[in-house]
Amino acid sequence: MKSKIGIAVVLLVVVVLALFLPNFGGRYYTQIFVQVLINIMLAASLRPSLLCGQLNIGHSAFMAIGAYASALLAKNLGLPFELSLLFGGALSAAVGLIMGYPSLRLRGVYFAMVTVSFVEVIRLIAQLWVSLTRGMSGLSGIPKPSLLGMVLTTKASQYYLALGLLVIILLILYRLEYSRLGLIWKSIGMADNLSQSLGINVANYKLLAFTLGCFFAGVAGAYYASFFRFLFPPEFSFLLSVNILVYNFVGGRGHFIGPIVGAAFLTLLVEPFRGSAYETIFFSIAMLLTILFLPGGLITLPGKLAGLWSGSTGSAPATSAAT
Amino acid sequence: MALLEARNLTKYFGGLAAVNRVDITVNAGEIVGLIGPNGAGKTTCFNLLSGFLPPTAGSITFNGEALVGLKPHHIVKRGLVRTFQLTTLFLDMTVLTNVLLGLHLSSQRGFGRVLLSLRSFPREEITRTHEVLEFTGLAPYADELAKNLPHGRQRTLGIAMALAARPLLLLLDEPVTGMNLDESQQVMNLVKTIRDRGTTVLLVEHNMKAVMGTCERIVVLNFGEKLTEGTPSEVGSNRAVIEAYLGSGGEHA
Repeated sequence: MKSKIGIAVVLLVVVVLALFLPNFGGRYYTQIFVQVLINIMLAASLRPSLLCGQLNIGHSAFMAIGAYASALLAKNLGLPFELSLLFGGALSAAVGLIMGYPSLRLRGVYFAMVTVSFVEVIRLIAQLWVSLTRGMSGLSGIPKPSLLGMVLTTKASQYYLALGLLVIILLILYRLEYSRLGLIWKSIGMADNLSQSLGINVANYKLLAFTLGCFFAGVAGAYYASFFRFLFPPEFSFLLSVNILVYNFVGGRGHFIGPIVGAAFLTLLVEPFRGSAYETIFFSIAMLLTILFLPGGLITLPGKLAGLWSGSTGSAPATSAAT
Repeated sequence: MALLEARNLTKYFGGLAAVNRVDITVNAGEIVGLIGPNGAGKTTCFNLLSGFLPPTAGSITFNGEALVGLKPHHIVKRGLVRTFQLTTLFLDMTVLTNVLLGLHLSSQRGFGRVLLSLRSFPREEITRTHEVLEFTGLAPYADELAKNLPHGRQRTLGIAMALAARPLLLLLDEPVTGMNLDESQQVMNLVKTIRDRGTTVLLVEHNMKAVMGTCERIVVLNFGEKLTEGTPSEVGSNRAVIEAYLGSGGEHA
């Protein structure tokens, strides 16, 4: 009961904060907060794959596909933002489907290796197909986002667009995770041979989780393109994929809010070092500290602190991964 | 009438014949034991029958239908359900959810159904789950996480999940290994009750007392080949079987 009130209070604070953020601190801060929202989209959309036990380090490739596809459609064909966003996501999902079908048969580290190489392939295509993507000069002049024909010119309005988009994505992902489909994903992650022996077509459900993640990564990429209005191939490197994975681990894999907490926390904390070599060091340290002291991620921190507070040496209340 | 008929079943791993020209017949309503020393090919046989491994040669007929080439999830739907050695369970889920999944996953008609019906489980599935828990004696543990159960109960849970899938033939892989006398007696009684309720059972087990006391017919494997087959007393007094288990030196006797 007490914890339910606590959760409600935290939720309320987060919602109010999210709604009022663009009113503080001006353009620079709005940009950081948008980055937070995008990273949450990316981290949360990786979760279905992780639930199935697939170590996917290729998420940035699908973000790149969505970003370039939607940017080119909007810029060259003048497609409205909503359509180019959906096309970006759909193309990402289609590529994910084609790529996932053979590679999801691989397990563990072998699957991870395929996803890593895929990131490099996509990055090199973006870099070398100069006539289409402008290569290393970067793709610029991408139209601003619009809604029902109305162009959103201010950064604040674009922030609210991202917030709305994020809420929709999270609602869909939440609904799926806490349905039978999510239960099946979790069962595959825990013991895929048992799931199979109970009649589950493991390959299909893994492919669905993977493709769904690709779709939302593509959508996140499409928004990214319209907000920053500049795409540069090295932005979508292997490092970004690792970061998305780290958000999930540091936030905690035991619950839906894990990647949300992880992405928000790390994006804000790493902001002063962004783009420098310290960023990588910082992420590595965050990952190591989590593995050593908080194997369940940041979301288990309140429980651990409460355990310390009441002086009990017993184990902290475990956040149940089930149902 | 033969419910399961495997003919000339063969599996090579590289040059090694893990299972070589084995014939196994299981009639409806029987409890059949599959025994043999370590490495005799018992678990490989299970993997072949349940579709987890493709046989190198041979045929498997179940309930009048050829099984070779079908995927494990298709074989389950035809009524052949297996359990695993050791404790293969959804450890971070409750006992109830484990059995519910056993019931639910096996009754799933396909992919589309899951996508179209995102609501929680139908009432009759939950009722049936409680029946299975009651029947297997797991009802008091329904809300316990599977990983917190004592070893014996975890093995029973594995059987309960398979039962929930409504098998015609249940393949049990070492159901009582690592259990004390009391626990193994309970599980073997459960196996008999399962049979009496109309499910045929084929089991692999090392615990000879349990096998001899439960099975009506026993198939003995050694080095991937069928050594002999017969009633428990026939097998128990067979010279070749005793040699396979104890060695032929004589000094062990």
